[in-house]
Amino acid sequence: MRRALSVGGSILIFVAIATFSPALHDDVAAQGRGTAPALRVNPYWPQPLPNHWVLGSVTGVAIDAQDHVWVTHRGADSLEGNEKGMMANPPTSVKCCTAAPFVLEFDADGKVLSNFGGPGQGYQWPQSPGAITVDGKGNVWIAAAGLEPAPPGGRGRGAAAADPDAVPAGRGRAETPPDAARGAAPPAGRGRGPAAPAGPPDAHVLKFSHDGKFLLQIGTPGKMEGPDSKTTLNRPAAVAVDTTANEVYVADSGNHRIVVFDADSGAYKRHWGAYGETPTAAGGGAYDPNAAPSRQFRDVTCVEISKDNMVYVCDRSSDRIQVFQKDGKFVKEGAVSKNTKGVTVGGQFGAMSSAGSVWDIAFSNDPQQRYVYVADGHDKIVIVLQRDTLAEVGRIGSGGRLAGQFLAVGSVAADSRGNVYTGEQHHGKRVQKWMPGR
Amino acid sequence: MKRNVYVGCLLAIVLVALGVGQNVLQKSVAAQTNGKTMAPKFEVDPMWPKPLPNGWYLGQTIGVGVDANDHVWIIHRSDSLDAAEAAADEGTGACCKKAPPILEFDQQGNLLRHWGGKDGEGYQWPASNHGLQIDGKGNIWIGGNGGGNDGHILKFTQDGKFLMQVGIKKAGLAADSNAQDRFYLVAKVSLDNKNNEAYVADGYGNRRVVVLDMDTGKFKRYWGAYGNKPDDAAAAAAPRYTPGSTPSQQFRGPVHCADMSVDGLVYVCDRTSDRLQVFTRDGKFVKEIFVEPESLADGSTWDVAFSKDPQQKYLYLADGRNQKLHIYDRQSLTELTNFGEGGHYPGQFYSMHSIAVDSKGNLYTTETYQGRRVQKFLYKGLAPVTKKEQGTPWPTRTTH
Repeated sequence: MRRALSVGGSILIFVAIATFSPALHDDVAAQGRGTAPALRVNPYWPQPLPNHWVLGSVTGVAIDAQDHVWVTHRGADSLEGNEKGMMANPPTSVKCCTAAPFVLEFDADGKVLSNFGGPGQGYQWPQSPGAITVDGKGNVWIAAAGLEPAPPGGRGRGAAAADPDAVPAGRGRAETPPDAARGAAPPAGRGRGPAAPAGPPDAHVLKFSHDGKFLLQIGTPGKMEGPDSKTTLNRPAAVAVDTTANEVYVADSGNHRIVVFDADSGAYKRHWGAYGETPTAAGGGAYDPNAAPSRQFRDVTCVEISKDNMVYVCDRSSDRIQVFQKDGKFVKEGAVSKNTKGVTVGGQFGAMSSAGSVWDIAFSNDPQQRYVYVADGHDKIVIVLQRDTLAEVGRIGSGGRLAGQFLAVGSVAADSRGNVYTGEQHHGKRVQKWMPGR
Repeated sequence: MKRNVYVGCLLAIVLVALGVGQNVLQKSVAAQTNGKTMAPKFEVDPMWPKPLPNGWYLGQTIGVGVDANDHVWIIHRSDSLDAAEAAADEGTGACCKKAPPILEFDQQGNLLRHWGGKDGEGYQWPASNHGLQIDGKGNIWIGGNGGGNDGHILKFTQDGKFLMQVGIKKAGLAADSNAQDRFYLVAKVSLDNKNNEAYVADGYGNRRVVVLDMDTGKFKRYWGAYGNKPDDAAAAAAPRYTPGSTPSQQFRGPVHCADMSVDGLVYVCDRTSDRLQVFTRDGKFVKEIFVEPESLADGSTWDVAFSKDPQQKYLYLADGRNQKLHIYDRQSLTELTNFGEGGHYPGQFYSMHSIAVDSKGNLYTTETYQGRRVQKFLYKGLAPVTKKEQGTPWPTRTTH
């Protein structure tokens, strides 16, 4: 969720009960917990994109004050040869397809209203964007989350070994054998696909006006000075903006911390790690569901500020949400599907990390924000938590490629009318709209 | 559509008001209808099929057939799931698991039977599944295109009981388009129930169509492009396809479909040549067309199916390069219209691979690579063609 904090949600009465797993339903009923909002997918959202545009790996979804939906994706770098035939030289298709611009604004009916993105004067466009946020003034923030580090040993696990529908090897019929690189190990060191953008690795956050004018860059690509730095970042995944205080909170994933800056000047304000403690460069290490909770964050993939001024942080591969005051004082934490582990897979466009259960969160649109939607990209569902207890009360969706299913759902946002939008990374490459009701 | 009706009504009222005779008006209407090309119209059913049970997930979905009960059978590659997709099998998460390769759905999209994936008594499961068709007795035929291995086709009952294997699976296998006892990397087997013959699109390695006896599996005849004798060396030496070049006298392959119409014509997909060749049952060349001839890489002609009218007036062609379902007048092979667009939303495609039609004329499509799904398109009858390229075939009225 990246709603502007100044926008009030309309009151929605949740009369329906979400789809519980049977075991969960018993549990919830027994404990007298609340009910979760029921949501159904709208398969006809968004409207078909113009110009034979297709989405790449969707890394961010945000809602602005007009309930417009802002989407960012990795673009051509994350598209396979078969998806971007119009971009090949010579084109392998003149009819399908080409990468949509990096940032798209949709209205609630799913029509594209505006777009921007790509290199410009004064900043480096992310090699891979992370989350997108629209602040209370309508400015658009994009985290430069960067490409996935290559998995240990430089090899992705479990990727399909071959694509037998591709033109047979050695026949030389294809300009570029469509999926020749699938399953190949990403180059050691960085998980870059062959088409990955050049330049120093992402370590920055970008701020644009509503119409794409560059306003501010915090951090410097290629410059990473660790979790004590007041000027540099390390693969930041997301930002939240406190418009009233004019502060931007950065989920500085590679530095295992939350760091707060002035939203106009980018001047450093404060930072903290898990439990409000001092972050270390080593972070939390590999996650073990049976070990004691790490005192350090692993990969911090979201930060959100609730109306009651609590800062919610996704510690993705630790399967947990931690809650803080705005000054970084630790309040509480909640485990989500704590047995979820992870894997990094190889692909035509580099390494793709699929780990942990808490990829992104959004608050429900009721005034109390009673629920938290959790995008669980590894289990391919949206989990609904009760916000006060952080206990699971519902689940939305299932794994797959049909409408209402997910692959690598890594973004979630809620508008003022109770609609929820989800974005899918990796090969999911969709934004889906979920509407109240069954 | 609504607007057209409105305009039409207005025109009619004006004509009547002007005192134009009934006869003239009728003529005018008739001319309007006659003047417009009619073609089958489809709308995607975005909620078909239902989510699979058991946390099952589809991989590259590379074959579809419809049986006599209008049940839809698909085949996919379970092993094409990556470790993140198959996280439950890998023990890293709760979702998902590899679905069995052969799955049966009813008209409501419920999963019924499911089986396959392992060798059994008397047969070898393909290294890479490819293609699925159902014969008049309800038996299921599949091919296989696992490079260096698959030189065979398999026939099963609907319960997955093995009936017949033709050819062999053997490590180190290579192309031999004149072999009479095995294939190489078969894309699809189509059935001529009346004459008890199976047509084998052979395939990714060989460059021919083979006709078999459906019961014994005995080779009856085979042919290459233009009905020529297939010549692997000549095919290998032939230049890569470029738009406007002299058509190759050999199939470039993959020979990706070989389907027979009611009037005994065999339609063969030569995928990377962007062409469809038509033959008589005995392999005499009739004609060819090129489909989206500027297509390179993996080509435009992936699969064909026929409309459900007794004459099979329309031919449907799956174009997994341009993500379009082309609709042709079958006799003239003139394209009337097409639908589809690239993408992962309902009615869009990522490498549309296989197609089939049920008794009501509904169309089913499967997608390989990262498409990984089966979609249903509802047949809405014949409608005037208003656009050559219809794009994503959503219902006229949709809520957003």
